[in-house]
Amino acid sequence: MSLDSAIRMTEVLVALAFIQQSLEHLRGGRDERRLYLPRLLACLPLLLGFAAPWACLALLAIGVMILRRFHGPYNGGSDRMSLLVLCCLTLALFMPVERWRAVAFAYLAAQLTLSYFVSGWVKIVNPDWRSGRALRDVFSFSAYPVGENLRGWADYPGLLRVMCWAVMGFELLFPLCLITRPTLIAGLAIAATFHFANACLFGLNRFFWIWLTAYPSLLWFQERLFPLA
Amino acid sequence: MGIGFGFGVTFGAETCVKVAMILPAEIEAVMRSLTLLLPALAPSWRFFPSVAPSPRIEFRAPQATGPEEAEWREFRPAPRKVSVGAMLKRMFWNPGRNETLFLVTCAERLLSGEIEFARREIASRIARQIPAPPAGREHAPFLQFRLVLVSGHGSDFRSDVAYMSPVFVPADLAAA
Repeated sequence: MSLDSAIRMTEVLVALAFIQQSLEHLRGGRDERRLYLPRLLACLPLLLGFAAPWACLALLAIGVMILRRFHGPYNGGSDRMSLLVLCCLTLALFMPVERWRAVAFAYLAAQLTLSYFVSGWVKIVNPDWRSGRALRDVFSFSAYPVGENLRGWADYPGLLRVMCWAVMGFELLFPLCLITRPTLIAGLAIAATFHFANACLFGLNRFFWIWLTAYPSLLWFQERLFPLA
Repeated sequence: MGIGFGFGVTFGAETCVKVAMILPAEIEAVMRSLTLLLPALAPSWRFFPSVAPSPRIEFRAPQATGPEEAEWREFRPAPRKVSVGAMLKRMFWNPGRNETLFLVTCAERLLSGEIEFARREIASRIARQIPAPPAGREHAPFLQFRLVLVSGHGSDFRSDVAYMSPVFVPADLAAA
C-alpha cells in the first residue's frame, strides 16, 4: 500500500467516523450543536477528497474547542484517538517533503501498536486481571454493561478468567503481528472483533469506528518495515 | 500616535493597552488548550488498569415541604435487557449510551475535585431529561442529585453516598 493510498483511506474513514460522532451530538444541547454541526460539515470535503488539508485543519480547531467545552475528552479514549489520528493526518497532508509525511503517519502506526501493547501490559501486572476478578467486577457492579441481563456473566468466573487472559495475551502479542502481512491482517481482524465486542457489551461504539481509522497507517507501515514479508 | 506594522494595520496606544490587558488571558487559554490536547498526542493507553467503585447518579425532586419526602431514583438506569438487534443498531446510533458514559466521567471528575464543571453538566442533563410529570401535575420546582459508589465482592455489594448536590432549580439549567 502506498503512503498516498493509506492517507486517502484514512481521510475517508476519519470523515465517516466523525460524521457518526457528530450526528449523535446534534440531539444534545444548543452549545453542543454549535460545535458539532460545523464539524459535520467540515467532514464532507474530507470525505470527497476536496481541500482535505484545510478540512483537517478546521476539524482540528473544532476538536480543540470541543476539548475546552467538555474540559477534556467527551468520550475518553475514543476522543483522544480521534484527535491523534486527526493530528497525524493533518501533519501528513501539510508536510512538504515525502519523508516527513511518512514520519507523521509512522507515528500514528506506532501509537496504534502501543495502544494494544501498553493496554495489555498495565493489565498483566495487575493481580485482579490475572485472576479474572477485574472482568467479574466490570460485569457485577461497574456502570459499563449495557443491560442488567449482562450482569449474569459475573457468575462464570472461569469463563471470565479465560477472557481476561485472552485479552491480555492478544494485546501483548499484537506487535508480533507486524512480522508478516497475513499475521497483521489476522491481528487487525481480531482487534476489530475485540472492539466490536466492547461496543456490543459496553456501548463503546465510537472506539470501534475510530480505531479502524488508524488501521491503514499500520498496513502501510508494515510494508515499509518488512517489505519482503 | 499609532504604531505601524508595515502591512496596513495600525494600532493606537489605547488598542495596545487593551491588547496587553487581554494577552495573559489569551495565552492562558492557549496553554489550557495545549494541556488538553497533549494527552491525545502522546496517550497513556492505560485502559481498565483496575476496576474502582463505580458511581451511580440518583436524583430526587424535593418539595417545598421538605426534602425528606422525596424519593431517590437512579438517573438513566441500564435497561433490563438489550437485544442483539439493539446492540447492532447502537453501533451506528448510540447518543444516549455515550452521554451516560460521559456522565460517569463527570461523576468521577466531581469526586476527584473538579466540582463546578461536573456538577453543572450532571444537573443540566437531569433537568433536561427527567420524565414528564403525570397529567395535571406541574414539573418539579426543585431537583437534587447525589453520587452513590457501588462496589463489591461476589454477591456482596455495598453502596456509599459519596456526594450530595445542593438543591437546584431545573428551569435555570434545562435550556443550557
